[in-house]
This record gives sequence, structure tokens and C-alpha cells, in this order.
Amino acid sequence: MAAIVRISSVCHRGGKLLFYRSSLLARPLVTQQKDQDRSYPLTARIHGSSSLRAAGSVSKAASLHWTGERVVSVLLLALGPAAYYFPGPAVDYSLAAALTLHGHWGIGQVLTDYVHGEPKIKMANAGLFLLSTVTFAGLCYFNYNDVGICKAVALLWSK
Amino acid sequence: MALLLRTLARQGTCLSRPQFGVFYRHAVPMGTTAKEEMNKFWDKNNKLNRPMSPHITIYQWSVPMMMSITHRGTGVGLSGGISAFALLALVLPGSYPYYLDLIHSLSIGPALLGLAKFGIAFPLSYHTLNGIRHLFWDSGKGFTLPEVYRSGYVVIALSILTSIAAIAYM
Repeated sequence: MAAIVRISSVCHRGGKLLFYRSSLLARPLVTQQKDQDRSYPLTARIHGSSSLRAAGSVSKAASLHWTGERVVSVLLLALGPAAYYFPGPAVDYSLAAALTLHGHWGIGQVLTDYVHGEPKIKMANAGLFLLSTVTFAGLCYFNYNDVGICKAVALLWSK
Repeated sequence: MALLLRTLARQGTCLSRPQFGVFYRHAVPMGTTAKEEMNKFWDKNNKLNRPMSPHITIYQWSVPMMMSITHRGTGVGLSGGISAFALLALVLPGSYPYYLDLIHSLSIGPALLGLAKFGIAFPLSYHTLNGIRHLFWDSGKGFTLPEVYRSGYVVIALSILTSIAAIAYM
């Protein structure tokens, strides 16, 4: 939990760092705005999120996706010891969800790296979505009708 | 329009004076998204039938490079394994203990059994430990080259040790 908070706080700092960095690269002009108290480089305002919001074009989707990926990773990490010390349906279904989502996003990144061309990208992602859906369905079915993930691993390893 | 504004602003012309600040409110830094730029790159180069410049075939492999692709490889492998398991659960008629007993009855020797367990345990422990290394990088830590190598060796060593421990203990 602390890891999540720390990561998100560092993310905000990192974002601010990039904000000033890009403005410095664009040959800044430092002027005093008569109507505002801010004295940072004027060209920084072009890259500032306020002007972008006025132009209506910055989406937070990619950034939220990134954060979501890290959150699920940490959750999955915590589910490991949870599965060992508290096996049961709660952890079984949580594992099913976290494993499927982590795998779905992971393979998604692999496809983004290696698949090019709009139609191929769309098909690959559609295939991945289908696979992930079937995977989640299968895991839930296994949890409901069979021994469940935690018990399955325990049985497998006792071999 | 945005391009014109950026050019002028870079040269520091009169448009940069405060009273012209109204133009900036609607200026957009980039006209295209990263995805669009990538697609343009690939479309152009595929259309011109250009061969891809050699990279992994000529570049000298380093430990960080190998660990990175192994992280990806183990990830894809594990994901495939989970999907295969889920698909089999949906398709096969019997229950899990039934199939486990089936495998038991094959009387696979302890050596092969240990090898198979290592084949499952090592990708899992490597991907998990390297994943933690990745999360440290995501928090901004450990980017110097000595740190990258040191943490890398720790991950490799711990992966092997925990895999062996998992086989020996259970």
C-alpha cells in the first residue's frame, strides 16, 4: 500500500520535472505577466496543461493505464503470500482477476511493440481480448466447479 | 497555425510579448499522437519496401538486455501457461485431481519431476523478482549502470535459489 502511495507521489514530481524540461528546450522568454503573479518562462504556457485543456486535446488515458498496470502488479505481488497463508475462494477469485488483467496488459504491451499497421493492430488486440476473456472465464469456472487455484497449486507441488 | 506560433515563439518575436498572450491559449504543441507517428513511420517504410536495419543480430548483447528480454519471455510463457490451463479447465471433462492422478500413474522419475517443477518455478520467480526490480525503476530508483548490473545479478541469483528451495522444500 505504501508502495502505491510512494509511486504516485513520485509520478507527480516526475511530471513536473518534464514540464519545466520541455519549456527550457523551447528557448524560453521570461516575462512578467501583468495580470498574473507567475514568472515562469512564457513558452512554458504552451506546454502547460491549462492551455492544452483549453485546446481540448490532452487525454489522461495513457497515464492512467500506466498507473493501473503498476497497481495491479503490486496487488498480484501481495496475492502471492496471501495465497500461501490464506488459501480460499476470496484469494482464488482475486488471483483469477489479477492474473488475467496483468497478463492482458502485459501481452498488450508486447503487441504494441511488435505489431504495426492499423488493421493488424486492431486484429491482434481483438484476439488478445478474446483470449483474456476466455482465460478469466476458465479460471472462474475452475474456482467454482473444481478445487480452486490455491488448492490446485498445493496439490501440484505435493506430487 | 500551431507550427507558425512555435517557430515564432522560438525566435522570440513580438508575439512573445504579454499582450499577445491570447494566441497561446489555443496553441497545441503537437499535431499528432505518438501512435499516429509510429503508424506513419511503419507505413512509409513498408511501402518503400525498405529492409530493417540489423540491430539484435549485430549489437553486442549485455546482461541488462538479456534480462529484459527474459523478463518478457517468461511473462509471455507464464501468461500462455495460464491461458492454456484455463482453456483446458473449460474443455476437459474430468476434474483436476483426476488428471493429477493420471500424471501420477505415469510414474515419472524424481529427476524429471524436479526438472519439470524447476521449469515452472524458475520463470515464475524470475519474472516476479525482476518485476520488483522494474517497480523500483518505476519509483525512480536504481538507474545508474552499476546499480542496474548489481540488482540484475541479485535477481538472477535469488531466482535460482528460490526455485531450488521451492523444489527441495515441497
